[in-house]
Amino acid sequence: MYALNYVKAKSVQEAAEFLAANPEAKLLAGGMTLLPTLKQRLARPTHLVDIAGLPELRRIEAKGGRLVVGAGMKHHEVATSAVVKKAIPALAGLAGEIGDPQVRNQGTIGGSVANNDPAADYPAAVLGLGATVVTTKREIAADDYFQGLFTTALGEGEIVVRVEFPLPKKAAYCKFHHPASGYAVAGVFIAQTAGGVRVAVTGAGPGVFRWSAAEAALAKGLKPAALESAKLDASGLNSDIHADREYRANLVRVMAKRALAKLSGKK
Amino acid sequence: MSAKAHKHHDPVGRVEDARLTTGAGTYAADWNLPGQLYAHFLRSDRAHAEIVSVDTAAALKSPGVRAVFTGADAVRAGHVKPMHTLNFPGKGGMQTRAPERPALAHGKTRFVGEALAMVVADSLSAAQDAAELVQVEYRDLPPVISPEEALAPDAPRLHDRVPGNLALEAEVGDAAAVDTAFARAAHVTQLKVEVTRVAPNPMEPRAYVASYDARGDSYTLHVCCQGITTLRRHLSAYTGVPEEKLHFEVRDVGGGFGQRTPAYPEHCTLMLAAKTTGKPVKWVSTRSEGIACDTHGRANIINGALALDESGKFLAMRLDWVNDMGSYLSPASMGHIRNTSTCMTGVYRIPALYATYRVALTSTAPVSSYRGAGRPDIAYVVERLVSQAAAEVKMDAAELRRRNLIPPGAFPYKTPTGSTYENADLPGLLEKALRLADWKGYPKRRAQSVKQGRLRGIGIATVIENTGAGQAAKDEVEIEVDATGKVTVYTMSKSQGHGHETTFATIVANALGLPLERVTLRQCAPEKQHRLQGNHTGGSRSTVGAGSVCHLAAHKLIEHGRALAALALAVEPSQVEFARGEFHTRESKRKVRLGDLAKSGPVSVVAEAKFGSTFPNGCHIAEVEVDPDTGAASIASYCAVDDIGTVINHAVVEGQLHGGVAMGAGQIFGEKVIYDRDTGQLVTGSFMDYFMPRAGLLPAIRGAEHPTPSRVSPLGVKGVGESGCTGSLPALGNAVMDALRPLGIEHLDMPLTPAKVWHAIQDAKNKK
Repeated sequence: MYALNYVKAKSVQEAAEFLAANPEAKLLAGGMTLLPTLKQRLARPTHLVDIAGLPELRRIEAKGGRLVVGAGMKHHEVATSAVVKKAIPALAGLAGEIGDPQVRNQGTIGGSVANNDPAADYPAAVLGLGATVVTTKREIAADDYFQGLFTTALGEGEIVVRVEFPLPKKAAYCKFHHPASGYAVAGVFIAQTAGGVRVAVTGAGPGVFRWSAAEAALAKGLKPAALESAKLDASGLNSDIHADREYRANLVRVMAKRALAKLSGKK
Repeated sequence: MSAKAHKHHDPVGRVEDARLTTGAGTYAADWNLPGQLYAHFLRSDRAHAEIVSVDTAAALKSPGVRAVFTGADAVRAGHVKPMHTLNFPGKGGMQTRAPERPALAHGKTRFVGEALAMVVADSLSAAQDAAELVQVEYRDLPPVISPEEALAPDAPRLHDRVPGNLALEAEVGDAAAVDTAFARAAHVTQLKVEVTRVAPNPMEPRAYVASYDARGDSYTLHVCCQGITTLRRHLSAYTGVPEEKLHFEVRDVGGGFGQRTPAYPEHCTLMLAAKTTGKPVKWVSTRSEGIACDTHGRANIINGALALDESGKFLAMRLDWVNDMGSYLSPASMGHIRNTSTCMTGVYRIPALYATYRVALTSTAPVSSYRGAGRPDIAYVVERLVSQAAAEVKMDAAELRRRNLIPPGAFPYKTPTGSTYENADLPGLLEKALRLADWKGYPKRRAQSVKQGRLRGIGIATVIENTGAGQAAKDEVEIEVDATGKVTVYTMSKSQGHGHETTFATIVANALGLPLERVTLRQCAPEKQHRLQGNHTGGSRSTVGAGSVCHLAAHKLIEHGRALAALALAVEPSQVEFARGEFHTRESKRKVRLGDLAKSGPVSVVAEAKFGSTFPNGCHIAEVEVDPDTGAASIASYCAVDDIGTVINHAVVEGQLHGGVAMGAGQIFGEKVIYDRDTGQLVTGSFMDYFMPRAGLLPAIRGAEHPTPSRVSPLGVKGVGESGCTGSLPALGNAVMDALRPLGIEHLDMPLTPAKVWHAIQDAKNKK
């Protein structure tokens, strides 16, 4: 790690101002991605601005047909929240499958969404449920927010404050764990929403994406057979020592079928 | 000593665990000495390159930097010839070709991660900052990663002194007898298997603090190691510093698995830095440095063939080994040949054996001992061949084993490769395991899995391994009693988590009739390092060796005390009896406690002995389920019946077995060090890509003991540290192959990852 300065922000406003004044400063929440990056000397921020635990970022509530999760909520808190479990059980389940107990008690939803790791779990739920990412500057629809590999619509100094999930009729998530890291090799989130069926895929591609062929097929009925023939182009999928494209494409289909079975209350 | 005598000292937990599980242990990185400096290594990012120049000028000017060392300094200091133990007679009189290895690479670098330079500074970050300023100019050379390709005639040559990258070619057994047997065989099973290269990854990363005492021209090293005697011998050979000038401090060690045995280049360079700067110098490895630079394990490719007659009796076996030793020979590289030939026949009567070994050097990290050091490798080869043969001749895998086991009456059994198995009850072991695993009920369980859309397989492995022995001339143990009656036991063996403080104290407490808490074990104590000899802890030998000498030392103490007590009691020694830590005469009620003998100073005795090999054996049976849609395999059940002789502490033994089984499962299902074939870059450089077994991989293990006490040592014990690994590699490998064989899949190499299994299933489907 390079030498750097540590700043404990007293409010989101203060953190935003600090970032505006110090373009090479970085936000620190759970640090689950940032700290390893720093330890390997792959990043050299001038400051770490610690926003972990800020009260403004720590809320979970369901109101007006939406579930609101503050950016500072840890995975374990989302996984075990009675409010989340009641409103969107699939989201609680997803949070409970992230990383390991240490990660779940440190990492935050805001950090995951802001980082947009292509194998992270939360982006699948945010996109699959058509959620809204609320920042210090604006509200961004999930469809506009995720822009591929570690890229989002967030501007310089813009901080994720909360994520607002519209309550679906039903939703389910199925994930194939990376053998080494535990991240998603392929994770599929299926939601039956007011606007139709949404299918979001994480882990398999360079960023979370909607599998539109599957959405179209399922629009005619939530039948596993529909997924069997839904077109999936493997050429754009990730390929590495643990899973080549062909295998990942298969996993997307299998995880989708299993998510659908969960959605339909089977298994 | 009977098993019953130990019963009163078999605590559920281990005496060291309160300390180790509450953060009160002292590991190597916990040492900090006044005025210490911090070292950071600049490591090669090339797999094979000439080092044209190393410019340290800018680094030396960086704030806080005290010194920068390069390969030229290592060569000047004479740190160029590490010891090696590959001392086998080569084929046709060939001698081992051991390359030099300057402690910092000089002239050439030969694997990604090799240390090129060391910066020593006032703080770690100052050292890291300066290391970025060291300019290295390389001239790239083609690397060679695969050991088979390294032995090919046109392969890039890695060392001038090692033509063909062949460090040694050796053979064991009788080639002609094997040829004759194969010629008359009714059936021959052939299999080429790889026992993959893995990174041992002890939980504690390597850490050392070296300091130099100019008055005595001596060094003190705070280390994590498996015992100081072997490390001291290696390090003395590497640096030229006499053994009596090397002192060590080692307390708790967080795992070793063979990887913490040898002297490493980092030891040498830290000594050089301590002497040059006059300050203690500390280095703590990162996890990624550990994966890249600490010795790897296994890395063998074996072509095997097993010949059977009409009735399924084994006639002969032939193995052709390619042993990948990485870029240099580690000081502990002998196990690959010694242990695989010692137990080549496995648990079977195979009249004719022949094996060839070609030890290859490659552009990868050096390979050394890893939990079993060849024992799991040979067990895997033999047991995979036997199960494959059973499938080919359509015989039950247990029945084929039953027909070929060495019968109890044949022990001591001299094997065709020259070792002598002491004792075992292999048929009893097999039948007990088959009952425990409900072998007969398997078809029903398989049918249930199939109903749920899963494949199921059962795998059996019946294995034996050599433990005990060791390279030290003898094991010595000192026992000291003070005036309070406290008993301190000193050994040169060193637990790395094994629980010696429980096991060895139990042995002494039992012999002296004392409560366990009165006996304390001290391992590699600084004040005894130049007084006591003994083996380091490795090769499942410490309870057989040092543990048995603990028993002898306790009895020696009793005899010594008897004479002293006789004086105090004014009787003949023959009239003095000993029980529960007290001497007394038959007639009077007068007593002399052990502590009373030490009123004018501690009383101590030293006992010594050298014990040969013991042969623990076991039968492991695993069942796996495979999800055909994802290729993911899971362990449905695991049974282990082991003969490890007399058991001192059941909790300790179970812990060893569980750990060993888990390590084997890790290798079967996911562990593998992967280098890019073209560039030699390490692809699995962190836990993001290097698979480690997690607790969820294994279900509860059902275990049973089937002891045939050893007569090698007075305790009746056999080694156990490596048994779990030796049994689980073949049992789990056979189980997965059994699940896949009905689809037409004959062989897959470990690791049996979901992607590999899924692709194999697809390929099999496409063939049909």
